[in-house]
Amino acid sequence: MKEKHLSEKFYQAMKQKESRYPDRKALILPALHQAQAEYGWLPKEVLAEIAEYIGVHEAQIREVASFYTMYNLKPVGKMHLKLCTNVACCLRGADELMEYAEKKLGVKCGETTPDGAFTLSEEECLGACTTAPVMMANDDYVENLDINSLNHFIEKVKHER
Amino acid sequence: MPKCTIDGKEVEFKAGENLVTVAKRVGAEIPVFCYHPGLSVVAQCRMCYVEVEKMPKLQTACSTLAAEGMVVKTQSEAVKKGRAGTMEFLLLNHPLDCPICDKAGECDLQDNSFGHGSEFMRHSEERRTYVDVDMGPVIQKNMNRCIHCTRCIRFGEEVAGIHEMVAIKRGNNIDITTIDGKQLKTEYAGNYSDICPTGSLTLKDFRFKKRAWMLKKTATICEGCSKGCNMEVQQEGNVVYRCVPRENLEINKYWMCDEGRFNYHYVQDPSRIVSPMKRSGDSWLVSPWEELLVNFRTDSAGTGVMLLIGTDLTLEEMKAIQETAKALSPRAAILSFGTPGVESTTQDGPRDQILKMKSKTSNLKGAEMLGIQPLLGAAKSDVVLVFRGGRAELPRIEAKKAYGVGVFLEKERNHFHAILPGLSFLEKEGTVVNHQGKEQSLKRALLPRGKSKAIGEILMLALHQRNGEVTA
Repeated sequence: MKEKHLSEKFYQAMKQKESRYPDRKALILPALHQAQAEYGWLPKEVLAEIAEYIGVHEAQIREVASFYTMYNLKPVGKMHLKLCTNVACCLRGADELMEYAEKKLGVKCGETTPDGAFTLSEEECLGACTTAPVMMANDDYVENLDINSLNHFIEKVKHER
Repeated sequence: MPKCTIDGKEVEFKAGENLVTVAKRVGAEIPVFCYHPGLSVVAQCRMCYVEVEKMPKLQTACSTLAAEGMVVKTQSEAVKKGRAGTMEFLLLNHPLDCPICDKAGECDLQDNSFGHGSEFMRHSEERRTYVDVDMGPVIQKNMNRCIHCTRCIRFGEEVAGIHEMVAIKRGNNIDITTIDGKQLKTEYAGNYSDICPTGSLTLKDFRFKKRAWMLKKTATICEGCSKGCNMEVQQEGNVVYRCVPRENLEINKYWMCDEGRFNYHYVQDPSRIVSPMKRSGDSWLVSPWEELLVNFRTDSAGTGVMLLIGTDLTLEEMKAIQETAKALSPRAAILSFGTPGVESTTQDGPRDQILKMKSKTSNLKGAEMLGIQPLLGAAKSDVVLVFRGGRAELPRIEAKKAYGVGVFLEKERNHFHAILPGLSFLEKEGTVVNHQGKEQSLKRALLPRGKSKAIGEILMLALHQRNGEVTA
């Protein structure tokens, strides 16, 4: 038996969800979410374990996990900022916000600060165009952003640590 | 049979046939990239647009099944515009490196761009670029040229039975590669290059060797195993550059294995013996045919003669040997040899789930049909005459005199006292019988090398010569 990376909790959660889907392949997305909740990101060994559990080839899990930007294939910081740069947000100044965030955190888009506190990344549409520009901070939405409020948010997070 | 109308011509079809297949019958060639008759249909390249009456939008012909009374136009203005639009998108990132690309001349992208694309390009932004991936000894991947038709991914999954190619990321950033850049494991990797509609997956064996349009093509049969895959030999100036599979739905479908594909190398190996020669002490002397034929005849007429027939020879050659033996050495034992452990067709069988067979020679069934018994163990006799096409594995020979007739490499000549060079499967015509009992013809693709002669000719000369003079 190979070493298990995923906890009992993961397998129990999967067992519960299994009956909801007509096809075992449909479990891929929830399984990836569950594993990411446990690890914070998705290491290769975990992807392989999920593939084995679901009964598909590892390649298929890789394709799915790399297709969706919300699955992290690299370790991320404690606070993952995902800034939308799609049309609506872009028109409302998302590019300037990205530039500001990069300068403020001292990292490029897609990178993590050396202390592991922040990861900054770009996201296509987050589906909240009415309150553009938007970003996701871990699982929460931060809406109607401008440079002031972004600065305030980052400071607040830094302070809370 | 139900009927539909394509470009004003009525055509019959079988239920379940798609429009690409049906349109071919009325002579309408529909351009495709992702569609391949041997793979599942995904309709993602959007090249095969056709107009179907009563349908509001253009339809992809590969995923649209023909239906009774359907009226299809393959050449309307809307179709032309649709295809030109698709071509423009597909070429957005494609480099203009046709002059140095191995696929040029037989490239679907090139042909369809010429046939359906526009001569101008509106895209002036930078193209995305990738680093080449080394995919092992057979395939080199150039992702810049890829149009993500995913034929390779589907081939691996559906035919080769191994999911090793993946599409990582999405949209403009998509990357078709192997998991973690690993090397390809399948023994059918050459097919990746055949089905690739661009020059993205190229054969390392053929890379930068020859332009596709210079090659002369001969349809023949692979001699790699008893499957009898149909293949095409492509040569120029008597040098083979490549072998590719030919479609035969009853035998190999559209595919062939790497072993068969690269088997041709021994034919033009510099160490292949192409002049008659005999052993003299520890060295080998090239000798005139006449001299060796006299020796051959004298020795084969004696007692204790054993004739060994390789199961890689054609039916005609085997029969010629049997018939000549009646006159030349009537008391000789005639036995066959080929693959150790697979001496009869009952021991033959599939070596994997796809094409390969256990018998590594092409005509085991044919030898059985002619009633030639297999040799078991070593060949022990005073005189042993070995007839071989080049692929049958030589048995251990314990003889006072041993002759090799056929194709031998220098490293194999130590078994023998004299070699009479014969023709390989690419230099002769003949019939081979595959494991299903299907008779197929070898076609001559190359001229004989050096002083080699056909086995039939060698036997005939040996039979009719007296004291070095050939008499009729």
